[in-house]
Amino acid sequence: MTTAVAERDDLSTLAGTGKLLRFYLRRTRIFLIAWLGGLAGFSWLMSVSLPELYPDAQSRIEAAVLLDSPAMRFMTGPVEYIDVYGDSVGAMFAHQMLMWSLAVTGVMFILLVTRLTRADEETSRSEVVRSQPIGRRADLAAALWLSLIAAAVLGALVTLTVTGIEGTELGQAVLYGLTFTATGITFAAITAVCAQIGSYGSTSNGLAFAVLGFSFLMAGAGYAQESGLAWISPIGWPELTFVYTPEQRWWPLGVAVGVSAALVWLAFALVAKRDFGAGMLPARPGRATAKPGLRSATALTFRITKGMLWTAVISMLLLGLTYGSVLGSADEFLEGMSETQREVLTRGSSAPAEDSFAVTVTQIQGFFALIFALLVIGRARKEETGGRGELLAASPVARSGWPGSYYAAAMVNGTVGTLLGGLGLALVGASSLGWDAFGKLVLAQVNYLPAVWVVIAAAFALLGWVPRFGALRWLLWLYVFIVGYFGSLLDMPEWVGKISPFEHVAEYPLEDVDWVAFAVLTVVAAVIAMLGFTGIRRRDLQFS
Amino acid sequence: MNAVIRTEGLVKRFGHVTALDRLDLEVTRGETHGFLGPNGAGKSTAIRVLLGMLRSDEGRAELFGGDPWKDAATLHKRLAYVPGDVALWPGLTGGETIDLLGRLRGGIDKRKRDELLERFDLDPRKKGRSYSKGNRQKVALVAAFAADVDLLLLDEPTSGLDPLMGAVFNECVKEASAAGRTVLLSSHIMSEVEALCERVSIIRKGVIVETGTLAEMRHFSRSRLRATLKNPVRGLEDNEGVHDLKTDGLDIECSVDTGALDDVLAQLAVAGVAALTCEPPSLEEIFLRFYGDELAASGVPNGEGAES
Repeated sequence: MTTAVAERDDLSTLAGTGKLLRFYLRRTRIFLIAWLGGLAGFSWLMSVSLPELYPDAQSRIEAAVLLDSPAMRFMTGPVEYIDVYGDSVGAMFAHQMLMWSLAVTGVMFILLVTRLTRADEETSRSEVVRSQPIGRRADLAAALWLSLIAAAVLGALVTLTVTGIEGTELGQAVLYGLTFTATGITFAAITAVCAQIGSYGSTSNGLAFAVLGFSFLMAGAGYAQESGLAWISPIGWPELTFVYTPEQRWWPLGVAVGVSAALVWLAFALVAKRDFGAGMLPARPGRATAKPGLRSATALTFRITKGMLWTAVISMLLLGLTYGSVLGSADEFLEGMSETQREVLTRGSSAPAEDSFAVTVTQIQGFFALIFALLVIGRARKEETGGRGELLAASPVARSGWPGSYYAAAMVNGTVGTLLGGLGLALVGASSLGWDAFGKLVLAQVNYLPAVWVVIAAAFALLGWVPRFGALRWLLWLYVFIVGYFGSLLDMPEWVGKISPFEHVAEYPLEDVDWVAFAVLTVVAAVIAMLGFTGIRRRDLQFS
Repeated sequence: MNAVIRTEGLVKRFGHVTALDRLDLEVTRGETHGFLGPNGAGKSTAIRVLLGMLRSDEGRAELFGGDPWKDAATLHKRLAYVPGDVALWPGLTGGETIDLLGRLRGGIDKRKRDELLERFDLDPRKKGRSYSKGNRQKVALVAAFAADVDLLLLDEPTSGLDPLMGAVFNECVKEASAAGRTVLLSSHIMSEVEALCERVSIIRKGVIVETGTLAEMRHFSRSRLRATLKNPVRGLEDNEGVHDLKTDGLDIECSVDTGALDDVLAQLAVAGVAALTCEPPSLEEIFLRFYGDELAASGVPNGEGAES
């Protein structure tokens, strides 16, 4: 007991971390099982199907030719992997998988840490916890320990899934798994800092997603230009281990660990500095009366989601501008190519390389814009369970106004985000390809709008019909993303892919815009949204 | 149509839990109606059904003669609601919230709003996240009392308010009542209900077990009688209207049914009375009678006893 007194001063702010950790583990078990299972399952699926699709060195070298352009490197990884496609299926696997799988891993850890820190604080759930004999920093510590455990388990699972890849060694598999662990830890640490800055869960998520997006762009730009830019990206470090290649090295993971340690230290310093429930920004007295515009539930919804809209606007514009810059260099790259190489790159058609690139990029920008729109839908549920909507629901507001206006806010967010991505792409793309390309690129982006609308409507319908399982919308997102991006690599039945609205969009500008599909998808989105409104009208509202 | 609120056989289930079990509640125009019951008795559920937030499983509910589920938005123009636990938007100030809620009802009386802010001593410039529980409650109260509506639905509105503000609240309810508004006040603070409400309904496990004016309830209840007599009295224990009789020399103490008071007083007068106190039952005692068995189950002795 005497030593306990001495220790108390040092440890008091962390007291109870162990108890909280067990509690958090229990609370997040379904989240963890779903995400870990999903990531590991996907890794296993790809580790089986990729070697089947590319059984010999010849087929892999052909694929490498197709991929060795700045534009494609931007979306996969550094040239060090491409150079050894022929020698090792492992290198091809890592190159194809890492960038995107790591980005999704980042998403998982951002959601996990925000949920356990800022989101809990926002709903006063952790107020109950903090009144217990539990230290001021214990909840953050427990959240980070949980992330560490989850990251370790993820690494182990991924390692297991890739041990079966032909011609690879166990050490390589372990390193491959560890890249996931490192990414998980890094983004947990990044989110821990973000959670201290804003005072909403959505701000914390938004900031962390902005960092993720920035990392993604910097890594891609670094790979495309073969510059050192990837070194400022948390997503870059794991891929710079060149796992499965002869140049394989472990130390870039050390950078991730070092940066994470510094961020964790910063997060703990910030926790000590701020008041419970507050962000880093000091509270200023606000308006005594409301602006004239704030006169409906819809106006309130748009005000509440304004920050998310700005996050989407800036992120998507940046994404578009960056992809646009690569688009230009894709063209230059093509000119330096031999006739045969060019043919492989353009899928045998006479269309220019930037056209096939435009298809891929506009689709991906649709996926990204969806993330922000789905966050808006999630906000609607929080307004409800947090009890804030109760005052609105007791006012002369129809259900279509509240919570229905969140559908409108998500639609505006998703549409504006998608279009700004297209605008950025078209602006920079046209500067190198000529102004004829401007309209083409904008149209290529508009082409994907109805597919975006369908997914937003489906997320809204989940809110209307199965509000408790609204998080299924992320599963939906993961599904359309995997089908869209990895679909060609996966050996799956055709109908599985055809459920995704993105698969029904014509690959403009490679082929003509299918205006019938465009109209049908728009109608489908409208019908699903109607169903969502019916659900919203029919169900009980679930206030705390 | 004299009933502002009327429910008949209202049933609401959440999974296996029956929150409302054939609830019959009636609140007439212009009255201030107390809605009494402990936590979990179904008060908030009943109010949320009346507000069209929850859909009833069986039975009927009427609000101003309309269907609270189907016509929710229209009916809400005529009422204001204060929940027991007010959650505010962290980024909106109290003033903004009050204005928004007022405008949703078609405008707010600026003078009245400012007067109420003054009376409740509320700073409208603070952001929602920095208000304490009591101040969050005040934001909703100011918005409700400033609204030009026919009905106030108040669900444990004073939780978190200090006694001073409790007094301001009582005044505001009285003013609202004087202006002809109907008030449904759900509470478990007996003094508040006793001071404000003409009629009271007691809810237990989703059923109304008693409803009526306070006077009626007292009538069916027992008064507490204490006396010091000049001579011993006989035959008191034989009177069927006398309960829990305790005799200590010339001091007696008992509960007396209202109907038996005449007889008992006559008997005491014969013996000669040196001192006498007779108290009507407090609302708390009436209330506890309906919960006597629950108190007993949790080990609290209850002098009034379960219903005999």
